[in-house]
Amino acid sequence: MWYGFAGKLLRINLTSGETKVEELDKSELRKYMGCTGYAAKLLYQEMPGGVDPLAPEAKVVLATGVVTGTLCPSGGSYEVCFRSPLTGTWNQARSGGAFGPKLKYAGFDFVVIEGKAADPVYVYIHDGQVEIKPAKHLWGLNVEETTDTLIRELDDPEISVAAIGQAGENGVLYAALINDRGRAAGRGGIGAVFGSKNLKAIVVNGHGGIKVAQAKKFAEAIEKAEQWLNNYPFGSIPALGTVGLVSVNNSLGILPTKNFQTAYFEKADQISGETLNRKYQIKRRACYGCSFACGRYTSVPTGKFVTPPMEGPEYETVDMLGAICGVDDLEAIIKGNYLCNVYGLDTISTGMSIAFAMECYEKGLLTDKETEGMPLRWGDAEVMVKLVEKIAHQKGIGALLAQGVKRMAEQLGPAAEEAAVHVKGLELPAHEPRSESKVLALQYAVSPRGACHMHPNWASTWDFGQLDCGMKEFGLPWPPAEIQDESSQKGVVYRYVALQGEISEILGACIFYSWGGEGSCITPQLYAEIVSALTGWDVTAAELLTAAERSWNLKRCFNAREGFTRKDDKLPRRFSQAIPNGPSAGAKVENLDTMLDAYYEAMGWDKQTGLPRPEKLRELGLEFAIN
Amino acid sequence: MSKVLIVDPTLCTGCHRCEMWCSLTKYGEINPSRSNVYVIRREPGVDVPVICIHCGLCIDVCPLGALKRDRTTDAVVVDSDLCSGCGACVKVCPYGVLRIDEEMDIAAKCDLCSGSPACADHCPHGAIRYEDVRKAAAKRRELWAMAQAGKIRS
Ligand code: SF4
Ligand code: SF4
Ligand code: SF4
Repeated sequence: MWYGFAGKLLRINLTSGETKVEELDKSELRKYMGCTGYAAKLLYQEMPGGVDPLAPEAKVVLATGVVTGTLCPSGGSYEVCFRSPLTGTWNQARSGGAFGPKLKYAGFDFVVIEGKAADPVYVYIHDGQVEIKPAKHLWGLNVEETTDTLIRELDDPEISVAAIGQAGENGVLYAALINDRGRAAGRGGIGAVFGSKNLKAIVVNGHGGIKVAQAKKFAEAIEKAEQWLNNYPFGSIPALGTVGLVSVNNSLGILPTKNFQTAYFEKADQISGETLNRKYQIKRRACYGCSFACGRYTSVPTGKFVTPPMEGPEYETVDMLGAICGVDDLEAIIKGNYLCNVYGLDTISTGMSIAFAMECYEKGLLTDKETEGMPLRWGDAEVMVKLVEKIAHQKGIGALLAQGVKRMAEQLGPAAEEAAVHVKGLELPAHEPRSESKVLALQYAVSPRGACHMHPNWASTWDFGQLDCGMKEFGLPWPPAEIQDESSQKGVVYRYVALQGEISEILGACIFYSWGGEGSCITPQLYAEIVSALTGWDVTAAELLTAAERSWNLKRCFNAREGFTRKDDKLPRRFSQAIPNGPSAGAKVENLDTMLDAYYEAMGWDKQTGLPRPEKLRELGLEFAIN
Repeated sequence: MSKVLIVDPTLCTGCHRCEMWCSLTKYGEINPSRSNVYVIRREPGVDVPVICIHCGLCIDVCPLGALKRDRTTDAVVVDSDLCSGCGACVKVCPYGVLRIDEEMDIAAKCDLCSGSPACADHCPHGAIRYEDVRKAAAKRRELWAMAQAGKIRS
């Protein structure tokens, strides 16, 4: 009997058309707790190093966690784990919506996708059954059309569809997988991987539910969480949505602008959350099971950027299609967001690629010849929207932009490298790592998937609030007295910040609710209570932390096998130059090496290589990852 | 004054937590398919919780007298000892909020949780509330009128 988990893994081989249901092993699952932790084990053990992410041999794991689809207040997530064609690293792309919960209600915690279909297919998973069905008629359709067609065809309005659009079909290296129309497993190019496998969509629905080991205790733990979250320190996010951060960040001088040339946008008011909510919001929308409801539902009813109702845009998108490109037209941003959703594009990499192209154009590194006579000027809203179209279809200059900033810079030469803002090939998200955010700078440098604000993402909240997030019993907040140097302190602190954040990753929870302290967020202790009541296992916060450490180390080992070491834990050159204007003028990152030394040391990793030492891996029961 | 369950769809975000609480409270598991409140989430932008209004139509058609009115809450409740799962009530319910529970093979419907409704207690946005009957009636009139005018929107 399984509690909390569905207890099953579904294996789909697209080459042979065979599918197989496997029982999960309880003790092995508990070691990793599930979701991305267990997916890391699966991918590490089943996919040898060096496999081309777009080859049939590449595997993809769709992972839910123990709290996915339960009443845990932010438990609506699933994550897609794979080797990224954009970066060559480990990648995990999280998404909310209904897909994760419905996959679990259909009876599966994990889906492993292997091989490549001869012709386009989609996979239909429902109540323990799985069918691989022809999708020739869907190929070439956008995400919305695909979703509508499948709802009609399967005659069920309650299915959840995760599909790729034209961008994934055309192999854009940062194409996304979009579920429930407007929720994106965005980063790292899972859309291109689906496209390479001729896999158009995965459809799920289920009526199985999740069994709870101790229903009364579970209800009590959830009630406690609901109460604690009344004091949640970031409670203002739902009121405006994540896009509320535009004004806040701009007033602090940390709103990335013009390809990170600066961090202050004079016209931020025009693209702010306040403006979005006042003029374009239709309603608030929640992911399945989430009490936060930070999602917006918007449309542009008239004008040249008219769009039908759609989820978003989120903060990241508004900055990336807005300030990062110098664009101050919110209607164009909403349109760009809509196009990214229907074509299946990561809005962050899309915006950064456009901004990079604009900077290259400004510097004469891209000329009218390459752009077919279209000037790529900062702030040109129409050009931004046109480029989104061109990228998705790999048309004209779009074919260059579709490769992402790192590859573009390689083709445009050394002068372009100066302007290339990425880590390990992943374009930076909309959070300025200079200014106060020095721990965030470290996070960008070392995160397994490249410049990442999400996995795990407590660094910026630490930078600003030094919240303990329930880590008191493990020694936070700090700084440790025996370490004098501030940069070294930050390196050590990040060990705890990362591991606390990784707990949400292995449980399948959205990260938002894990920032705060006892009585105001879901701490590791409260997660332990919830997970214990759900599963009937006696899980402690310390056990969760160890599982998180296992997961974090294993992702590092996955990257090591692909050749990533300390030399790759670096930041774009731009961040050693000072922010030129705005409230945080003068700030730059100068202490990365010191932070890295301290962080590796604290993690039990070798300082020279930045890789986990064999003793560390043995201690965590990861002998198989020693090489 | 007694209380009535009332919904305000304009406040609903489509989170489905009410369904999860209902199934947890009633059956000790988390399963929106075993819930007695139904959240209809559709595109574009529709999130509407649908609940039993305890009108009692189902009482009249039950051949076994298994549906009764609870005297304290005025809820229409299923007597599981008498119900055979024939589904006559499912056919008559104008709101589609009765179902035959597959596991127990009898009719399942909202019973107002004997006066402390889990769904209303836990809705994060107050979209389902257990309210004084006068206030609830006023809200019902409002929703009814607006629906007729095709103007329910948020
Ligand atoms: S809990 Fe409230 S907001 Fe969530 S779906 Fe139910 S009625 Fe809507
Ligand atoms: S179940 Fe349907 S018929 Fe019965 S009382 Fe409720 S709304 Fe009326
Ligand atoms: S009142 Fe109780 S039984 Fe009725 S829908 Fe709400 S939670 Fe379910």
